Amino acid sequence: MVLTNTRTLVLIIPHWRVIAAGVAHDHLAAVVDKDRVVDVTPDGAEHGITPGIRRREAQKLCADLKIIDDDEERSVRKFNSVVTALESVTPRIEIATGGWCSFPTRGPSRYFGGDQALARIVVERTLKALSVALKTTEVPSVIQPRIGVADSRFAAVVAATSKSLSRVQVVVPEGSAAFLASFPVDVLASKYSPLPEAQELVDVFRRLGLKTLEDVGSLPSEELFARFGSPGLLAQQLAQGIDGRAPLLHSISDVVSEESEIDPPAEHVETAVFVAKALVDRIHQRLAIEGAVCVRILIEVESEHGDVSSRLWRHEHQFTSADITDRVRWQLEGWYQSENPPTGPLSLVRLIVDETVPDSGQQLGFWGEKTVNDERAIRSFVRIQGLLGPDSVTVVQRGGGRRLADIERRVPLVAGRFDPDQVITLPESTTAPWPGRLPAPLPLAVLPQAQQLEVTDSNGRRIGVSGRGHMEEDPVRIRSDSLGSHLIIGWGGPWLLDEKWWDPAMKSRQARFQFLLEDGTAHLCVIENGEWWLEASYE
Amino acid sequence: MNDIHQMSSPLVLARNRTFPVVDELAGLFTDRGIRQGSTIEVTGVAALSLASALTISVSRSGSWVGAVGLPMLGSSAASDLGIKFSRWAFIDHPGDQVGAVIHALIAGVDLILVGPDIKLRSDHGRKISALMRERGTSIITVGKATLCNLRPDLCLRVSQAAWTGIGWGHGRLLSRKIEVELVGRGADSNLRSELVWLPDKEGRLNIVDQSNEPANFLRSAYRMQKALPDIGEQVLQAS
Repeated sequence: MVLTNTRTLVLIIPHWRVIAAGVAHDHLAAVVDKDRVVDVTPDGAEHGITPGIRRREAQKLCADLKIIDDDEERSVRKFNSVVTALESVTPRIEIATGGWCSFPTRGPSRYFGGDQALARIVVERTLKALSVALKTTEVPSVIQPRIGVADSRFAAVVAATSKSLSRVQVVVPEGSAAFLASFPVDVLASKYSPLPEAQELVDVFRRLGLKTLEDVGSLPSEELFARFGSPGLLAQQLAQGIDGRAPLLHSISDVVSEESEIDPPAEHVETAVFVAKALVDRIHQRLAIEGAVCVRILIEVESEHGDVSSRLWRHEHQFTSADITDRVRWQLEGWYQSENPPTGPLSLVRLIVDETVPDSGQQLGFWGEKTVNDERAIRSFVRIQGLLGPDSVTVVQRGGGRRLADIERRVPLVAGRFDPDQVITLPESTTAPWPGRLPAPLPLAVLPQAQQLEVTDSNGRRIGVSGRGHMEEDPVRIRSDSLGSHLIIGWGGPWLLDEKWWDPAMKSRQARFQFLLEDGTAHLCVIENGEWWLEASYE
Repeated sequence: MNDIHQMSSPLVLARNRTFPVVDELAGLFTDRGIRQGSTIEVTGVAALSLASALTISVSRSGSWVGAVGLPMLGSSAASDLGIKFSRWAFIDHPGDQVGAVIHALIAGVDLILVGPDIKLRSDHGRKISALMRERGTSIITVGKATLCNLRPDLCLRVSQAAWTGIGWGHGRLLSRKIEVELVGRGADSNLRSELVWLPDKEGRLNIVDQSNEPANFLRSAYRMQKALPDIGEQVLQAS
C-alpha cells in the first residue's frame, strides 16, 4: 500500500478567536459558542479555563471573565491580512479557519533554502502583518505564531500546537512517526485533529492502556479495525505519521468546477453569495453522483475590472453546502476590507473542488448501524486491501450515460465509510430514459476495455457502414483474438450513438450492432471511424 | 468435552443449512437451495448468467457476496436480473494472492463467485474446501471448478441455449431460453433439468411456460449446438 504524504507547514496563531474579537492579550476574556468556551486569553487560561467547558463553569472559575460571542466570520476576516502577507511566500495557502492555515512546503522550501529558513520567513511576515493588524510595534509572545513542518499534516499540526516545544518546530523528513511516538493519545481528539468526535475513542484507548501515539501506531491494523472500525484505522495512520485522508483519496472522473457570471454585476457581498449558493448545490449534486465529498475548495471571485480574489479553503472532515457559502462570504468580506479591495462590482464567481474523499456517511459511525454480517465482511475486505492495495476491493456505483462504461462504475470500497444501504441509491440516472440507451436486455459481460474486431463479408472483405449506419455488405464472419473466428447466424442494428455532438473535440459517431454467432454466443459490437470493436457479450 | 465441541461445531450445522435460490432455479437443488459450504460449478454458453442468477436471493437477503476475477460482470444487466449490489464486493485482479484472497473472503462473506480465469494451487484448493465446510461459505465457479483446483459438489451445465427476437439484419436480441442440467453427487446424483428464460424480455430470469410451447422447441428453428466451451472464458482470456 503506497501512501503519499505531502510535507506541510502548519501555522497556528494561539488565542486567535479572542484576539480577533478585539481583546488585548492580557485581559480576562473568553469566546463562547453555544454555551461552550471555544477560546480564552492567556490570563483566562491561568484561571483554569480551557476550551470545551461551559460558560457557567468558566464564570465560576473567574468572576471577572468577559464573555464574547463567537463569530467565525470576524475571526477569518481578521486573519485575511496574515494570509495576504504569506501569499508572497506561496500561492497555495489553505485556510482551515481564522488563525490556522497550511501549505505544502516543497516549492517554497526549495526557494527559500530549507524548511527552517522558510519557517523563519513565515514567522517574520506573520508578525509584521499582526503588528499592523493589532497596531502594536511588538507582538506579545503569547500570541506569536506557532509553526510546525512535517511529512504529514497531522504531524505538522501536533508540532505547531505542542506547548512544550519552541515556536518553530521542524520535524526532519521521514521522522514524523518517531516525532509523534511520545505524544499522548489525547492529541487525536484535539480540535485540530482530522478525527471527528474522537474523545470517546481516546478515552477507550486510555482505558486499554494505550497512552501514547506509539502504542496506537504499533498495533496490528486488523485488530484496531476489528475493535474500533474506521476511526481506529484512521487514528493508527495518524499516529504513524500518515495523513489518514491520503489513502481515502480517489480521483473523480473530471475536475468538478462550477462558475457563474453575476449579471448585473453585484455591489453587495450577499448578491455574490447568493449566486455562489446555486453553484454549491450543483457541485454537491455532481459530487453525490461520484460518491465523493469535498475537503478542499478553491473559491475565485472576479470584479468587473478584472481584480481577482482567489483563496483555497480546507475542511478537516467535509464541507457541507452551508460551509462553502460561508467561506465565500468570509472571503468576500475579507477582500472588501483588505488593502486591495475590488475596484468594481463583482462579476464572476468560480468554485473549483480541489480535493475530495469518498462519501462517508461517516457520521453514522461504524458500530450499531451495520449488522454483524457487515462488520465481518468489511474486516475481510480490509485484509484483502492489505494484500493487494486500497483499490483492490470495489463496490458498484451507478453513473448516467449511454456508453456501457459510463453506466458501469465501480469505486474502491473504503472500510468504515462504507454504508451498504447507500451504495447504489445515489443517482436516479439509471431509471432516466437516456436517449440512445441500449435496448434491454443488457449484456452481462462488459469488457473493461473494448477489443478490436474484424467483421467480413462472404468474400472475406472487411465491412464498413455508411454515414447512416447501414452495413455496406452482409456480414458473414467475425474474428477477434479473444473470440476466434465465427460464422454470424443473426444480426441486428444499427443503434446510432452521436455522443456530445455539440462538442467538436469530444464528438464521436458510433453505430452499434448485435451479432449472434454459430456457437450460440451473442455480442454487442461497435463501429467507430471504420473500426470494429467488441464492447460486451450477452453471456 | 469432545462431544460438545463436535455438537457445537459449525461443521455439523452447516450441512443442514442452505442459501436461498430463486424459485425458478430452486427445483434443481435437493434442498431447494445452495448447501452451505458446497462448491457449485456452472458451465456452458450462459454460465456467467446462470451463476449470477444463483446469487440473486442471497444478494437480497442481507448476505454478502464476493466476486473474484469477474471484472466484466455488468452491474446494469445483473441488476435487471434481480441482483442487489448493496452487499456485493468485487476483487477483480487477485493475481498470485488469489489463495489468500479467497481465504480472507471465506471468513467474511457467505457466497463467493469465482471467475473463469482464477487458478488456485492444489494445496490451497484443499485448504479452502475444508475452511468452506467449517464456515459454511459456498463457492460458485464460472467455468470448470477443477481448473481452479476445487472439487465441485454440484455441476450445473447449460446444455442448450436459444435466442429469440433477432433475425438477419432485423430485430434484436430479446430473450434467451436455456436448458440447465444438473450433475451432482450423492442425493443429487440424479440428472435433473430446468428450462428457463435467462434473460427474458425485461432482462430477468423467468420460468418457461411449457404448456403453450411446442415440445420440441429447442430442436426447432433456433436450435443451437450443444454447449461449447463457455464464452466467458474466451472473453476473459484477452482482457
